[in-house]
Amino acid sequence: MSKKRTTILILLVFCLGLILAGCPKKTVVKEEPSAAARREEAARMEAERAREAREREAREREAREREAREREAREREKAKEELEKSLIAKKTPGIEGTVYESTLLKTIHFDFDKYDIRPGDAEILKENAAVLKKYPNLKIQIEGHCDERGTEAYNLALGERRATSTKNYLISLGISPDRITTISYGEERPLDPGHNEEAWAKNRRAQFVIIAK
Amino acid sequence: MLRSFPSIVTLFIILFLLITPSKARVYLDINAPSFVQLPIVLPKWKSLGKTPPSLSIKVYEILSNDLLLSGFFRVVDYSKLPPLLREKEGIPDPLLISEWIHSGGEMLMVGDVSLEPNTLQVILRYHLVDLIEQKRLVGKQIEGHVQNLRYLVHRISDEVIFQLTGEHGMNTTKLAYVMRQGESKEIFMADFDGSNVKQVTKNQSINLSPAWSPDGKKIIFTSYLKRNPDLYVMELHKEGTHRLSFQPGLNASPSWSPDGKKLAIMLSREGKSEIAIIDSNGTNPRFLTKGHGNESSPSWSPDGQWIAFCSDRSGSPQIYVMDTNGSNLRRLTYEGNYNTSPSWSPKGNRIAFCGRVGGEFHIFTIEADGSGLRKLTSNSGHNESPCWSPDGRYIAFSSTRTGSSKIYIMNANGFNQRPLTPSKGGESSPTWSPRF
Repeated sequence: MSKKRTTILILLVFCLGLILAGCPKKTVVKEEPSAAARREEAARMEAERAREAREREAREREAREREAREREAREREKAKEELEKSLIAKKTPGIEGTVYESTLLKTIHFDFDKYDIRPGDAEILKENAAVLKKYPNLKIQIEGHCDERGTEAYNLALGERRATSTKNYLISLGISPDRITTISYGEERPLDPGHNEEAWAKNRRAQFVIIAK
Repeated sequence: MLRSFPSIVTLFIILFLLITPSKARVYLDINAPSFVQLPIVLPKWKSLGKTPPSLSIKVYEILSNDLLLSGFFRVVDYSKLPPLLREKEGIPDPLLISEWIHSGGEMLMVGDVSLEPNTLQVILRYHLVDLIEQKRLVGKQIEGHVQNLRYLVHRISDEVIFQLTGEHGMNTTKLAYVMRQGESKEIFMADFDGSNVKQVTKNQSINLSPAWSPDGKKIIFTSYLKRNPDLYVMELHKEGTHRLSFQPGLNASPSWSPDGKKLAIMLSREGKSEIAIIDSNGTNPRFLTKGHGNESSPSWSPDGQWIAFCSDRSGSPQIYVMDTNGSNLRRLTYEGNYNTSPSWSPKGNRIAFCGRVGGEFHIFTIEADGSGLRKLTSNSGHNESPCWSPDGRYIAFSSTRTGSSKIYIMNANGFNQRPLTPSKGGESSPTWSPRF
């Protein structure tokens, strides 16, 4: 061999040595991954996916609930408006307190000298009970009234019974007794001052007033 | 000259009979179901000295009206006298009884008035003469301030009635009652002769069933002031009405015990009306009734042992009596299907109540043992809420005979029914004061 060839050979070996020396100290072992490692990886990704799904569900549920709450609030608002629209404030000089009458709570009537609830009036009371359930904050007073016939004191007693039997019927429909008070006005507050059957029938009644809403 | 002993004895007997006080004579049998009115002659009264003539005219008006209203007298007033007697006035001296014997009366009453101009004290002198026995029964005088003139004259009429019936008249008493004022009901009062109408409550509420205390100082009533029928007491001589009983429900239709210490009332229990007794300060409620009936209108007996009330426990409202413990219950009324509002006479023997007959309400009285039922009103609309005078000789009640409801007074036998006041109506629920 010539001297030139030997030099090139030595240089090549030298370069190779340099290259080899410059390689990372760590040894990258490019092995094939084992089955266990593969399973771990899969589990991790599954958990990740599940977590994401749960979060997505939660967000959706929240959104649904929020929507429902807003819808309920709108409905309550609407109901409240309906109630407010139905109210007439009643302030009577000489009788303490402002109460409200509502077109939603209907008056029922009675036969002469009787205080039992007739079937038609029972239906009205069922409707009234539904209203009371729809507006759980309402507190009412049931007024018992009589027509002008008969003596004042006896009619006070009769009016008391009319108010009480109306209250008892509402309780039997599931309304809480602490939401209802009663009062008898006897023959003292007729709706119709007439002295005939028509007027008397109107006056024999149990009337509802709202004392708290 | 007396010739024999028998004549002397006869003379002495006659003299003795003439001198004997006539209290033994029954002038008016006021307990009879009907009686003949006593004719009493009333010449004009005289205003003495500088006393204005209007005063004696006023006194005469009040006096003759009192005697008329009592129902005991047929008053022969001066305008009905023969010409010779018509212009006589005052107390003649001497009192020539013989002049008056044929004046058309059995009794004669004369009097005069004098007013002291500085003190405004007025003196009323009067004589009551029995024209049959030809002797003076009473010679008295009464004095007081002229602003109390009506009261002074009422005392005179009371005295005349006492002399002739054995019991004082009711002329100084007052009645309280309920008066409708638009939508509200207020309590008013008036004198027995319908004058001095005064409004007692002014609260614009519904005020019901006043009851005058036995001592005349208080009126108890029910009012809806606090949106519940509560019991209130009003003191008549000092400021102040205050709540007495305010259980939820009825505190109504009060009746005083005769000693003024307790009240029988309608009180609610479990949503229905019962009869209860409370102390007169509103405390210590004690229920007397229980059961399924509606109990109303208690009325205490004058001996303090019994309570009459209305109950529909038999199916229709009827009058019952029970003792103050709620025991010894018995039913009083068996006729008719609606008997309510009992009121026990201060004399103790009879109970007045309101009964429905043929659709109309009428006043009845019945003996406390359930016998002797009497109907006192007829053809006179609806007659309700009877209430006795303190002497048990009159009954006040409400009547719609003229259209609107007014308070009427009648003698206990149903005679002499007259309206209390000249109002147009709206009156109900009378209560009678004691004598003042």
